[in-house]
Amino acid sequence: MTDFPEFKVPRPDELDLEFYQAVVKAGVLHVQRCNACGTWRHPATYYCPQCASGDYSFAAASGRAKVYSYTVSHVSVEPQWQARAPYVTIVAELEEGPRLIATARDIPANKVAIGMPIRIVPETKSPDFAVFWAESVQGDSR
Amino acid sequence: MAATGSSFSGKAAIVGIGETGYMRGTDQSILQMILAASMTAINDAGLKPSDVDAVIPPPGFVAWDEIAAHLGIPDVRYTSCPQMGGASPTAGLTTAAMAIAMGLAEVVLLPIGWNGYSALRPRPDARPNRRRFSAAFFDVVKNYYAPYGLRSAPWWYSLYLQRYVKEYNVPPEAAGAVALACRAHAQLNDKAMMRGKPLTMDDYLASPYITEPLRKLDCCVETDCAAAVIVTSAERAKDLPHVPVTILGGAEGHPNRPDELINRKDVLDLGLHLAAPRAFKMAGVTPADMDFLQVYDCFTYVVLLELEALGYAKRGEAAGFVKDGNIQLGGKFPLNTHGGLMSQGHCWGMNHIVEATRQLRHDAGPAQVKDCELGLVTGYGDLGDGSIAILARGAR
Repeated sequence: MTDFPEFKVPRPDELDLEFYQAVVKAGVLHVQRCNACGTWRHPATYYCPQCASGDYSFAAASGRAKVYSYTVSHVSVEPQWQARAPYVTIVAELEEGPRLIATARDIPANKVAIGMPIRIVPETKSPDFAVFWAESVQGDSR
Repeated sequence: MAATGSSFSGKAAIVGIGETGYMRGTDQSILQMILAASMTAINDAGLKPSDVDAVIPPPGFVAWDEIAAHLGIPDVRYTSCPQMGGASPTAGLTTAAMAIAMGLAEVVLLPIGWNGYSALRPRPDARPNRRRFSAAFFDVVKNYYAPYGLRSAPWWYSLYLQRYVKEYNVPPEAAGAVALACRAHAQLNDKAMMRGKPLTMDDYLASPYITEPLRKLDCCVETDCAAAVIVTSAERAKDLPHVPVTILGGAEGHPNRPDELINRKDVLDLGLHLAAPRAFKMAGVTPADMDFLQVYDCFTYVVLLELEALGYAKRGEAAGFVKDGNIQLGGKFPLNTHGGLMSQGHCWGMNHIVEATRQLRHDAGPAQVKDCELGLVTGYGDLGDGSIAILARGAR
């Protein structure tokens, strides 16, 4: 899959908007991080679940990740996705800790496996929204 | 039995049940179906609408005030609504028992229903619902899941169920055993949508994938239906027509974090893992004491996780529990003796409570678990909420 299937681009608000705007502005993955204790978290929350601090920022993440889980979808009620079936959706565990969902760009259904190293790459869809691709990488699984 | 002194254990009982048919396609609105099921439950309890003094409404679609207005309930002393999707009806039993034990209410109506087939499918003749549910996870879905072709429950849950399957080598036959038990029990139930459509393991294994690991036959059926129960005090239950079904224990539990599916320390920890021990402790009984299990079966693999949460198997080992007919009638722990959401119909688990009540009244027809005295009901709500009620035949 090289182009992302069409979808109704959401108009997020509150912290979800801050998250996506941070990603879009920088053009690389950003994730919320606690300014007090450094814990990364996603989706964004007003208080840190580790230390209860309300002081946070959205910091650049490396994009390095592993496949935590995935699904191969053979059926969709949406024609644009049905046309791509079977499509691979990945739960990526970032090296910083948080997990997010991404669509596999160059990882076929018969190759995807839990633990395999991937790279998370955003693609801007509006000033307030981006989607994430999961791309295969060379090398060991850290 | 009522184990913990200050709890509601043993103080409230289910005394009335009602349900509509389970259909694909109806001319009735959700409100009409809910009112019909409610009136049936009130009549079944030997009561009148004016006896009802509390309403625990569904977590969406229909509101408590219109239910009270249309049924002619003159004095609603208490209303409250657990907002947890499919975990709501069973959690509602706890809320009802609590309100009764504290003297806030005496006769509680708990209805639920929907046009799960007619309204929610993308169909030209769909009748959109007037009201939806209130939960933050809808925003999570909109902002983080739906753009990726993950539009509804099978696609969301495949994300963690695939990890369950891969991490523990769960064979498809384990999920198939759940589908087969529900389907076998539906053959005994006049109201089951899948009556007359028996299922074999070969049929199950030939079922096409929707989104891995979920096959079509791992998913419950979209249904138009409603069901309701009446809960009252143990005292008042003595004077009513049916053997009371006493609420011995009840609890809810929620994953951390509750609004999102994949950023949990262990994605396989459901709310039920927290709720089940609380409920068994309150009831003063153990999982081994149960005569039947009415387990919320939105998806077969979720049932396997729930059985582990209830204590019937260790993490990853539910496959061993469901094999060899153990969960079929005649086995040690018959599961979903009405056919469940998988094969009777999807009524948010209120149909599980109705069936548990029938069983403990010894009024379950050909699906009767002989001489049953104790059973449990679970609920599962998006995204992982758990609820459980432990029920007993007669006063305790």
